[in-house]
Amino acid sequence: MKILIVEDEKPLSDSMVEYLSEEGHHSEAVYTYNDAVEKIRMYQYDCAVVDINLPDGNGLDLIRLIKKQSITLGIIIISALNSLENRIEGLEIGADNYLTKPFHLAELNAHLKSINRRISFGGNNQIVVNEIRLIPDEHMVFVHEVQLTLTKKEYELLLFFIANKNKVITKAGLAEYLWGDYMDLADSYDFIYTHIKNLRSKLLKKGCEDYIKTIYGLGYKFEIN
Amino acid sequence: MLAIALFVFLIGMMAFYYILRKQVDQNINLELQNRASSITKEFDAAHSYASQLSNMSDTIIITPLKNLQRAEKFSDTLLLNPETKKYVLYREHGFVNNIHGQNYYIQIFKPLEESDRLIIRIVMVMNLLVMMIILTLIVVNRYLSRQDWKVFYDTIAKINNYEVNSDKAFELHESDIKEFEDLNRVIITMTKRIKNDYLNLKEYIENASHEIQTPLAIINSKMELLLQSGDMQEKQYKSVAEAYEASNRLSRLNKTLILLAKIENRQFPELKPVNPAIMINHQLESLEDLIRSKKIKITKLLDPEATISVNPYLAEILFVNLIKNAIRHNLTKGNLILELTAQSLKIANSGSSTPLDPEMLFKRFHTSSSSPESLGLGLSIVQKICTMYGFQISYRYENKLHVMQVDFAKA
Repeated sequence: MKILIVEDEKPLSDSMVEYLSEEGHHSEAVYTYNDAVEKIRMYQYDCAVVDINLPDGNGLDLIRLIKKQSITLGIIIISALNSLENRIEGLEIGADNYLTKPFHLAELNAHLKSINRRISFGGNNQIVVNEIRLIPDEHMVFVHEVQLTLTKKEYELLLFFIANKNKVITKAGLAEYLWGDYMDLADSYDFIYTHIKNLRSKLLKKGCEDYIKTIYGLGYKFEIN
Repeated sequence: MLAIALFVFLIGMMAFYYILRKQVDQNINLELQNRASSITKEFDAAHSYASQLSNMSDTIIITPLKNLQRAEKFSDTLLLNPETKKYVLYREHGFVNNIHGQNYYIQIFKPLEESDRLIIRIVMVMNLLVMMIILTLIVVNRYLSRQDWKVFYDTIAKINNYEVNSDKAFELHESDIKEFEDLNRVIITMTKRIKNDYLNLKEYIENASHEIQTPLAIINSKMELLLQSGDMQEKQYKSVAEAYEASNRLSRLNKTLILLAKIENRQFPELKPVNPAIMINHQLESLEDLIRSKKIKITKLLDPEATISVNPYLAEILFVNLIKNAIRHNLTKGNLILELTAQSLKIANSGSSTPLDPEMLFKRFHTSSSSPESLGLGLSIVQKICTMYGFQISYRYENKLHVMQVDFAKA
């Protein structure tokens, strides 16, 4: 997937490029509004990650421009402003997601994956990882072609793991993804533990290999060789 | 004050009566003396007193003395009035007169009844006059002081209600009294300074919070990358993990502080009709994990028709914070009762057996010892939102339940 990253903070931009490159995406970074406009005119992208506060312009204007060129292009807004108006406006003009800084790279990655599925398969798609088959639109999971009944949270967990497979996933990142601001970190860690324990035992029961590794004191890793 | 005035008034009246009495007595004595000398003269002129007696209008008693000397005297005495058969007070003057070689003790009398009545009248009138003067003084004084002190009490009331984050200008009434003017001037200068300091500080915190977001985002992303690299030793790994954890906590705290600042700055202007029942049900679903882990029994009495006009985002934050609080400080297998009407939301939960201190409850960073991980900002945010919409929030401890109540009606 070809991604354009419009973020004026170079170190943050670099982090995103690095993380996404490891995931096999081709990402390009620009640091100003004008550079972004130029790039969009010249090249084709699948997705754009846009910061709202740019030194020479507003990210929302940029999104309107992008949407005029290509309606299918996926857009994720990243902003230091956690304001509802901005969020609503951003989503109304066609952005797929809105992440507030600071955000987790794993979360950004998960959102990009879901955008990728929407673009590539028009939503009618499935994710296959070895013996696991996921149909995101119907929230269905099969292991060795046997359907697995998961709770909402367990399903979301599995999806997040698969999107960030072979990556260290921190508990904080998981908590943010599953509950947002709803839950305090201290509370959520216990629940993450419980949900993962349940998910793992459900997968194992259906003869799935044990992919979920615990990294002590930090988080988890969905390891697929 | 009044007691002292009354006391002085009583003493004064007694003294006044005494002096007046004395004066009148003296006058009567003088009169009696004059009469005595005229009587003496008449006796000297007459050959016998009997012929003169008929001319005397006042009572006179003449007693012959047998060489006995009697002193001249003035005294009060009671005499029988032959007409009314009543004893009447008289002033008596007794003196010795020598008529043709014979000593007589002569007593002449003057009725005191009239002068007595006069004295009492005078005293009464004086009484009334003084009383009226005192009353008038009290009324006038009270009126005047109320006028003067009005400014003072107004100032006190305004200081009492002063809110440093209020948009209203702080103004005080002018006064004719220099001291009050001085006081007002000092207070206005002081509040201006406080307000300026407050605004500067607020602006500084806001700017700092916003500026912190981007570096934090960089720190977090770099550490996330570092954690993925995999070529670290376990010890280094652990250090990075802990640093990452801490920076995540910092991010959360910072987000909350920004939210608080934004509520204070009223950056959530748009109002929409919100149905709290729908919102609360949705939130209870989201908090299911928390509720289940504590095995809390929830009783819902929600009026599905109730609506309030608020910013939906703030309503969400308000309710979720209250509910989360009621769950977090609840006992395992405790109770949570949610009661929603069009006027109020009542959230009651079981918990520690001691009532909380309502003073401390809404303070920032006030955390109870049982949950040291929580930031202690939740209720502070709740209060900010309530203040913004004029909702009344109150806490009470009843029937072994901690009750938080939000009254939607504007105070």
